[in-house]
Amino acid sequence: MKWNNEENEKPSSANVRTAQRQGFSTLAAAYAGEAEAEDRETEEREKIDFKMVTFALAGKDYGIDIMKVKEIAKYGNFTYVPNTPPFVTGVYNLRGDIISVIDLRKMFNLPAPQKAQGEAQDGLILRLESNLIGVVVDHIDRVVGIASTNIQPPHPIFADINIKYISGVVEQEGRLYIILDVERIFQREEEKNEPPAVRLTTAQPEPAAQPSVPTPSAPASETEFDFVRESLSTFDVFHVTDINEQWARERFEQWRSSRKTAGKPIQLSTHEEARDFVKSFTSECTGAFWDENYLEKVEKVLPEVNVGTVHVWNPGCGQGFESYSLAVLLKRHYPDKQIKIWASDRDLLSISTAPNLVFPRNSIPDYYADFIVEGTNGMSFGEEVKDAILFEYHDVLHPNAIPEVDIILSRDVLSFLKESDQRQVLTQFHEKVKSSGVVISGKHELLDTLDGWDRVKSGLTAFRKA
Amino acid sequence: MRVEYINPFVEAAYNVLKEVLNTEVHRGELYLKSTSMPVLGVAAIVGLAGDVEGRVLFDMTRQTAIQVASTMLAGMEMEPISDLNDMGKASITELANMITGQAVTKLHNLGFKFDLTPPALFTGENMEVTDADVEALIVPMELPQGKLEINVAIRERA
Amino acid sequence: MKTKQDFPNINERTAQGLSPEGTPYRVLVVDDSMFVTKQISQILTSEGFDVVGTAANGQEGLEKYKELFPNVDLVTMDITMPTMDGVTALEKIREFDGNACVVMISALGKQDLVKKSLMAGAKNYIVKPLDRKKVLERILMSLKQ
Repeated sequence: MKWNNEENEKPSSANVRTAQRQGFSTLAAAYAGEAEAEDRETEEREKIDFKMVTFALAGKDYGIDIMKVKEIAKYGNFTYVPNTPPFVTGVYNLRGDIISVIDLRKMFNLPAPQKAQGEAQDGLILRLESNLIGVVVDHIDRVVGIASTNIQPPHPIFADINIKYISGVVEQEGRLYIILDVERIFQREEEKNEPPAVRLTTAQPEPAAQPSVPTPSAPASETEFDFVRESLSTFDVFHVTDINEQWARERFEQWRSSRKTAGKPIQLSTHEEARDFVKSFTSECTGAFWDENYLEKVEKVLPEVNVGTVHVWNPGCGQGFESYSLAVLLKRHYPDKQIKIWASDRDLLSISTAPNLVFPRNSIPDYYADFIVEGTNGMSFGEEVKDAILFEYHDVLHPNAIPEVDIILSRDVLSFLKESDQRQVLTQFHEKVKSSGVVISGKHELLDTLDGWDRVKSGLTAFRKA
Repeated sequence: MRVEYINPFVEAAYNVLKEVLNTEVHRGELYLKSTSMPVLGVAAIVGLAGDVEGRVLFDMTRQTAIQVASTMLAGMEMEPISDLNDMGKASITELANMITGQAVTKLHNLGFKFDLTPPALFTGENMEVTDADVEALIVPMELPQGKLEINVAIRERA
Repeated sequence: MKTKQDFPNINERTAQGLSPEGTPYRVLVVDDSMFVTKQISQILTSEGFDVVGTAANGQEGLEKYKELFPNVDLVTMDITMPTMDGVTALEKIREFDGNACVVMISALGKQDLVKKSLMAGAKNYIVKPLDRKKVLERILMSLKQ
């Protein structure tokens, strides 16, 4: 850790300048007379050479250089476009030009007030270097003129949104405006996703009230599948990618016929329906100790370990049933080796009970008998097993210090991460698992659909580095 | 962060704040953050050593720091402060020290041997904290004086 | 006939910081936090104790003790301090003066620290946050030993 600090405070006049800079009107008010007089003086002296259109996002004031704003708009109905990130609200016909419309609140993960269907939303049409783009905001305020010399560099205090999107902050008449660097914000997005406008022009240039079709010749069911896939992602319930697409399509067929029979619509319009769709995805022995059958299957794919310790990474362990099951299996399979399991989950409620898991005697197969002890509230695992597992409240997307491992046990975790996160985690899996090691994924997660992984022939979804 | 470490910090924060500030204290929902840069303006840091390496960071705005310090000083029959002077800073670092101390004591009773280092205080304008990528547990505490975020980053020694 | 003068005034309270002879107990406060030093001093002086010195670390504490000796009745000692920690300072003060009366005051209440301190000669161990009543009780208890 490196620290830069200056604990010695300078006298109050420095604090006044600090207060003005940071726009904290309370501190400035404390030195009122002196500060206001200074303010008025400087305003008269400085020229207004920067104008910005100001607006509100989640209660805070923002501004965009007026040179980047083509016009102010009120958006009525958007045209919904599938296969786009959730913050792309849709496309808009601006007098013949088809432009993408981005909801800045969704993009920056800020709360957005719900507006009724069809009610117009405030927005701006921005003129970027390469194209036009529309943005939705809470509401547009007005054009404000300031002296560019008053613009201060961004400070982590304004970290509501990523600081790299802020070109500076400025205070005007007691209000603090965060100036957005729109070229920066939209530059990455351009590279990541082809603007829907381009796709539409090659397919159908006319935006209508109904959702547009991405390719004119796609069969209706393919489109329906795409929409379901999109909804699952938007609800953040499940993310269909190569590894689980086979299951997703099979499930979709099943879902389609059962919904048709029941006279219900196929599309997922609520969170609950999305969860319903995904119900059949979970692997066997989830939330319970592994039975003899499953234990046998796992035992068959266990790798050879030539050192004294078997290292295991178990992200997404939930309440710990699978961690304990694996620990006992490993203790029996490698009796002369030390077992070290790093188990983690980002659901605090689930994992908080894991280290001291207590359960009734009849809920656990005899296979585990030698490793459990009786306590006042029920059975739990003996020290030997508990010492083998380190349970952590941890988000697998965050940095970690896991060493190279022999086994990665991660069932039904990847599919619940968005595509880019799945890739990030799979890269980590590839890095951390030894060449002799094995990755055990969920029942319907086929890692060998991706380059870099080979399937281990077995009754399980187990994979090795290619 | 190891599950067993969580409750001691949460309980210590609640107990110490309640007792020292003599007020109701409300804890927000815990969550994980992938980088541990303080954001509010005033940060007190206590280092952890022993079985683990890490630190506990107490993050708050300058105003909150001033008001918390004033409350603590009032308990010693001292006048409230209008800006963070030496005594004000000493109050905040002592608060950080007490919360961390109680947490470390509880952890010791659970079998985890930690030690703590003397605290340090950092303020807004000149703050530049560069931790190597570390995941942190955030315990947000709501006080009448404002929000206090307790940011704990602990790494097990291999 | 008994008059008012024959009965002790029930509202009169003797300051707890005075010895049986009527002189204030003399205290050396060792802590690296100016807040804690002020807090302890305030509690003690309000009860008639005399804070004869303060130190910001164990090394300073040891030196001050030697300087003021034998005019110190009690030392309050923090544990976590830079340069020299409280337990080491306790050991050295006890080495210098076998009758030194030292009370540990710390944010840490770890059992092994408490044991170590008591075995090194501390008369008592107070865990922060400090409570006026608790501080006075424990200090007086230590002085009476």
